[in-house]
Order: sequence, then C-alpha cells, then structure tokens
Amino acid sequence: MDRLQTPAPRPLSVLIVEDEALLAVELGFLVREAGGVDVGHALDSAGAVAMARQLQPDIALVDVHLADGPTGVEAARQIAEGDGAMVLFMTANVKRLPEDLAGACGVIGKPYSDRAVRRALTFLARCLQDETAPGPPPPGLVLSDQFMARWNVSQLAQAG
Amino acid sequence: MIIVDAQAPDMPIVFVNDAFLRMTGYSRHEVMGRNCRFLQGPDTDVEAVRALAQATGKGKAASLDVLNYRRDGTPFWNALQISPVRAADGQIVYFIGSQVDVTARKAAEAALEAAAEAQARTAQQALADRTALLHEVDHRVKNNLQLITSLLVLQTRRTLDSATRTALESMLSRVSAIATVHRRLFQSHDLERFDVATFVRDLMGDLSSDREDVDIQLEMERVDIAAAQAAPLALAVNELVDNAFKHGLAPGNAGRLTIGVRRLNGHYVIEVCDDGPGLPDSGEFAPGFGLTITNLLAQQLRATLTFESAQPGLRATLKLPADG
Repeated sequence: MDRLQTPAPRPLSVLIVEDEALLAVELGFLVREAGGVDVGHALDSAGAVAMARQLQPDIALVDVHLADGPTGVEAARQIAEGDGAMVLFMTANVKRLPEDLAGACGVIGKPYSDRAVRRALTFLARCLQDETAPGPPPPGLVLSDQFMARWNVSQLAQAG
Repeated sequence: MIIVDAQAPDMPIVFVNDAFLRMTGYSRHEVMGRNCRFLQGPDTDVEAVRALAQATGKGKAASLDVLNYRRDGTPFWNALQISPVRAADGQIVYFIGSQVDVTARKAAEAALEAAAEAQARTAQQALADRTALLHEVDHRVKNNLQLITSLLVLQTRRTLDSATRTALESMLSRVSAIATVHRRLFQSHDLERFDVATFVRDLMGDLSSDREDVDIQLEMERVDIAAAQAAPLALAVNELVDNAFKHGLAPGNAGRLTIGVRRLNGHYVIEVCDDGPGLPDSGEFAPGFGLTITNLLAQQLRATLTFESAQPGLRATLKLPADG
C-alpha cells in the first residue's frame, strides 16, 4: 500500500456551494472526515464568488442549481479563472455541464455516496500537493480533460 | 389550347381556342401573333421555362406545371403539355400547347405539405418537451435521493446505540443501491434497459474502499434487464453483497469475493460468492430482515434464490428469466 507510506497531504480548505442546507451540512462532515477544513458555505452564485475571493480555499464544491437558479456553471468559471481556486462540481445534472467543465477539475454525480466524496477529496488533496495523480481517480469521480493532462492521468484509467 | 408557328421568328401564336381565352382573360386579338411568354410573371420558375425551351428546341414533347399570370395579373398554375407537329418531310411546323388550370390541386398539395410540416414540427416539439420533462424528473429524483442519503448519514452520525446505528447503516446501503441505479439509468442511450454488470461495477467500486482487505473478483457478461426491474434487482444484489461482507468476510476475515453475472439457457444468473465460513451446520440461516427482503424481491423478479456451499464459503445464486 504505497499510499499509506507517503506523507499525509496538508489539510484541504474547502468552500461548499450548495443551496440544500442538509446536503451542505453533511458535506461539511465529509470534508472534515477526509482531513479537510470546511471554510464556509455559500447558497448562491454571488455568495460563492465573493467567498471564494475572500477565503481563498483550495477547492470549491459547486452544485449547478443554486438558490438563484442554474448559475453554478458561471460561478464555477469565475472561481476557477478569477481566484484560482479549484472547482469540483457536485450535480445531478452531469449531462448539462459544458464540455470543458467550466474550468473545474472534475465532477461527482448526484446521488453520491459519503464514501465517494471522502475518496474524491483525499485523491484531490494528494493531486494538489504532488501536482500529479497517485493513480486513477477513485470510483465516482470524473476528471476534466484539462486536469487529467495536468496530473498525468491517462484516458484509459478513467473508463467506467 | 394554342398552336404556335415553329418556323416563324419567335414562334408566334397562330391559333387560340375559347377555353384558353377564358382561362387567361385575354381577347383573341391580344394574343394572336405573340410569343406565349406573356403568360409568365414575377414568380414563374425560370428553370421550368428553360427546361420547356430546351425540350421544344430538341423537337420533343414536354409537360410540366408552370406558374402563369392572367391578363388581370392573378397567378394560376398551368399544367402545360406541348407536342410538336411535323410535316411530311419531318420538319416541325407547329407546336400544340394544351393548358389546364391546376391551381386548386397545387393549393391542396401545398396545404398537405404544410400540414405534414406542421405535424413534424409538433411531433418534434412534443419529443423535445418530453425529453426536457424527463431530464427535469430525473434531476429531481436524483436530488431527492441525495437528500434521503444525506439525512440517513446525518442521523447515523448522531446515533450512539450500536443496534440502531447498524439498522440505519443498512438502510443507507439500500438507499445508496437505489441511488446507484438512478445515477446510471438515464446515462445510457436506451432508457428502457438497465446494464447489470455496470451497476455491479459501480456498487463494488463504492464499497471496495472500505474493505481493502477483500479481494474482489468480477466475472461478468453484458446483461441488460428491463429498467422497471433495475431497483428490485439492485436491492437484492446489494443485500447479497452486504451479507457476504458482514458474515463470510466479516472485518478481520480477509478473503475473496467473487461476483458473476452471465446468461444461461434463457436465464440471467447472478452469483455472489465468498470464501468465508459458509452455511451454518443446520444448512439454513436464521431469517434476518436482509434475507426476508431478498426473498421478497426474488419473488417479485420471478427469480429463484439459492444458497449453497462454495467449498469453502458461501455461494448465493439469483436466477431470473431473461424475457422480463
């Protein structure tokens, strides 16, 4: 088990952008369980962009449908391009995402399991720290082409 | 009907009957000696006229529908037929043109075409509406399943009593199995069918990270079942896998879990096989809730459920008719 021998990645700071209060709270638990820090919750796109700028998180977990409508994609693009925070989509509408995932590193489809989210966060923390992937992305996490290239993940590793 | 002189310059009209005059609104003296192009107007198809000229130029008969204009400027569709009249030496001396007003027929055709187009547009719109609605419902189902899952996880976190916790975790695992079905259900092109092997791969992918001590082997063929059967089958498979993890491969009891999905003589066979302690000496399990619901689901799927010794371990086999 190589993974256990490498040093633990530094804690991931996570901004949660989700208009369902219960999902946001539960995501906060999962972030902490995965060794991360839950730095804040935003309910709408304006809050998401403002909090990303202010808090400078490592990663923002962004739903497509927010309190102000289907604005998650645009918010994600602003966060990814403007503030340099990495974005991970968490949506029931994976098919509606643009081809380039609006600059996001990837997507977890809803309904997700708590395991899938913990695994994805652990994987992404490792990728951010090492600037390369420790292996193929875990089940449930689909990476964007841009980040697959950045972290040297082969297309084949992502099949299924 | 008109007759034109094929040998005089610009082929003038030399005879015209009363029917032609009634149809076009001209007087005889207005048309005699003229080339019949005065019937053409702004919307006359230039290509049609050219084709007509080409045919007559080669001395052939021709017939086609052309838009002509009356004296008062109103257009009408003219089903025109032109035939050459030859002298004894073979030279073409006249062309005879007969005209029939087919405006009504053309209008009916156009109306029919428009109706067909409108119908196609309506059908296309209906399909788009249906697809949008399907996406909307799919989206809501997924979000609600996510909400149910998160509620169960939140409740589990706050539950200290171990029996209650175990029950909540079992419910979470069942809801997750249904959630896994829904994540896949609308991904395929065929909304009516459900790919069992892909579901098992998703399910095991999700479970495996908690039990890295278990060696999971998947031996699967492509098996598609009706979408309506997806949830009950997924629940049944989930119970069998859960049972294997809890008993055959209880924590600390590292081993191998093999899942087979295949077609066999008009049946689909799904096997969940562990290498743990196997059947109890009595040959039967104490009937727990998991076994109860698995039996009920098997009945619903018209499937048979059997447990036997895998030497070592336990093999659970779910066999369902392939026609469903």
